[in-house]
Amino acid sequence: MLKTKDLGYWYQTANEPLFKNVNLEFETGQSYAILGHSGTGKTTFLSLIAGLDQPKAGEITLDDRSLKQIGLTAYRRHHVAIVFQAYNLFTYMSPLNNLMTAMAITNASHAGDTDYARQILRNLGIGEDQMTRNVQRLSGGQQQRVAIARTMACDAQLVVADEPTGNLDEDNTRAVIAQFQKIAHDQHKCVIIVTHEPDVAAQCDHQFRLENKQFKALDPA
Amino acid sequence: MNFIKRAGLNVWAKKGRSLLLILVSAAILMFVLAGLLIRSAAVKATNQAKADVGATLTLSANRQAAFKKMNQSSSSTTKRSRPKLTLTPVKLSDATKIAKLSHVGSYNVTSSTSVNAKSYDTVSTSTGMGSSGGGPGGMKSAASSGDTQINGVSATSLTSDFSNQQSKIVKGRGITSTDRNTNHVVIEKELASQNDLSVGDTLTVKETSGSKDTVKLKVVGIYRASSSSSSSAGPMSTDPSNTMYTSYTLANTVKGSKYANTADSVTFNVTAPSQVSSVKKSGKALINTSKYTLSTDDASYQMVKSSMASVESFANKIVWLVAIAGTIILALIVILMIRERRFEIGVLLSLGEARWKIVAQFLTEMIMVLVVALVIAGAGGKLVGNQLGAQLTKQTAQTTQVTQTQSGGQNGGQPGGQSAGGHGGPGSRTQSTQQAKLAITVSAVDLAELGGFGLAIMFLSIMLASGGILRLQPKKVLIE
Ligand SMILES: Nc1ncnc2c1ncn2[C@@H]1O[C@H](COP(=O)(O)OP(=O)(O)OP(=O)(O)O)[C@@H](O)[C@H]1O
Ligand SMILES: [Mg+2]
Repeated sequence: MLKTKDLGYWYQTANEPLFKNVNLEFETGQSYAILGHSGTGKTTFLSLIAGLDQPKAGEITLDDRSLKQIGLTAYRRHHVAIVFQAYNLFTYMSPLNNLMTAMAITNASHAGDTDYARQILRNLGIGEDQMTRNVQRLSGGQQQRVAIARTMACDAQLVVADEPTGNLDEDNTRAVIAQFQKIAHDQHKCVIIVTHEPDVAAQCDHQFRLENKQFKALDPA
Repeated sequence: MNFIKRAGLNVWAKKGRSLLLILVSAAILMFVLAGLLIRSAAVKATNQAKADVGATLTLSANRQAAFKKMNQSSSSTTKRSRPKLTLTPVKLSDATKIAKLSHVGSYNVTSSTSVNAKSYDTVSTSTGMGSSGGGPGGMKSAASSGDTQINGVSATSLTSDFSNQQSKIVKGRGITSTDRNTNHVVIEKELASQNDLSVGDTLTVKETSGSKDTVKLKVVGIYRASSSSSSSAGPMSTDPSNTMYTSYTLANTVKGSKYANTADSVTFNVTAPSQVSSVKKSGKALINTSKYTLSTDDASYQMVKSSMASVESFANKIVWLVAIAGTIILALIVILMIRERRFEIGVLLSLGEARWKIVAQFLTEMIMVLVVALVIAGAGGKLVGNQLGAQLTKQTAQTTQVTQTQSGGQNGGQPGGQSAGGHGGPGSRTQSTQQAKLAITVSAVDLAELGGFGLAIMFLSIMLASGGILRLQPKKVLIE
């Protein structure tokens, strides 16, 4: 569904591109991991995929329509859901309201359906009393699960996550990755995760490594 | 309208910040409201003053011209021989001509004199002895001063003392036009009880000049004078109770035959206050202006008007200065607030929220703050307005006093300021020492206007600050 065509990007201040001539394809129902050393441009690549920035060369197409054609705001609203390492949630709201707000803004098919939002949160192990207290009074792992719940509550077919397990312990990491797998396989969405940890990457259906300005597919171990 | 819900959640969740914003906004609005209130009170006071004093015209002798003439003649004479001021009594034929002009309603003829008590004793109070009251001029021209003041009028109800309720009929009736050419008299309550006089009784007085004839008067009414009406008492009267009201014809008879069909002054009521100046103009064309004047008794109006104009411009300045300063202060606060909320904005943008809806959320939050601030300011602005208003009227009162001492001094400097035999029209020149008071009240209109100001301030400050939102790149916020 999502394709990059000769994609290239460089920052004005750098004299070399981070990556160029990138041709990748991502399908629904699959999960992808992107590995790579620090500073190679993983986050930058993800921001292009997420419609937060425009490529310097080439283009990205969603079902053969370029993101430019769709419009970045509309693309973010309807087609992509983002999970970051931090700053994911509305800090002045409860988990439940975070989900309800995201569903309202993205005009999701379940917008306004409180029971649906509660069900998703419950599935991710957020207790009834935790759903209605301020998100800041939740642990880092719980907050990350709320962010994942938000992507599940919305209709976006593409879910991108930048080091979603960066500040989580082993147990939480395993639980979060399991949820991403569920999103890919049960909800038939396309999940793209950037991570440092080979263990996390190994749990995804496909792995890429960003090296020497190119994405190399790694054979599943 | 998800942004409204978000605004509500935010205002509620960040109570401390909301409270701070409410207090700052309330303080700003309070001063705006104080300015608005003082301004509207000033406008009201000016209008009231206009309604109070602007609707009458007075026909009287031209004192200024007569005074000039007198000075000329006195400078030519070497010795200190008392210069003579000759005031021509107003002709009633002139008055009837003016009365026929359009917009002129009722008119009151006043002619005053004094007589000596014969069949009764005058009231003398210790308080009135020394200073001889506020008798204008305070001059006694030997021949014409008696112990009883006679105020000849067309009707008592038309005099300012009665119309502004300073004097009141308590028994019988007042003088009306039907009393013309009669010996009917209205006496003061104090005098009546001291001499055991009641309605229907007669009393006698003695003329002070000429043949010093005895005149018989019949009591048709008794009035009660308030102590403040003493200003209309004659110079020799030791007490306002010694003032009697008769028809002006009787006063003229006492003064002498040459005073027939004349008056000290005639006061016309103009039915349309806005027409006063045009009536004055056409009235002036009918009279000999070197001998008579037709004047608007608007000295106090002019005074109120000028002092209120300065109050009004001061209030306007307050409103605008505070509004501008408030906008700047709030804009700075909002800019800081938005900086602190850039991650939230980033999350919204990453969800694909439209930028204008983010601005709308901030505006909604500010409007919620505004509503609470309005309530506080509504209560507080009245307080601040009252304080400021009192301060301002104090200053106004000082100016008023200065002007009054000036005009008072002028009167005193006119020797023989009273026409021969007359003692200044009763109430025709009652100094309406009306203090320009500012009535501070908060009306729904004021609050609506304040709300408008508040909304404009909030809107402007959000617009000033929203440049940051509109330029913010979600990638910058969320990734870098
Ligand atoms: N706004 C920017 N202007 C200039 N250079 C930038 C900017 N943002 C990132 N870079 C540079 O681009 C390179 C790639 O950054 P990016 O954040 O994509 O790396 P990354 O692969 O996500 O690294 P990490 O694993 O540490 O998160 C880095 O060398 C970084 O210094
Ligand atoms: Mg990164």
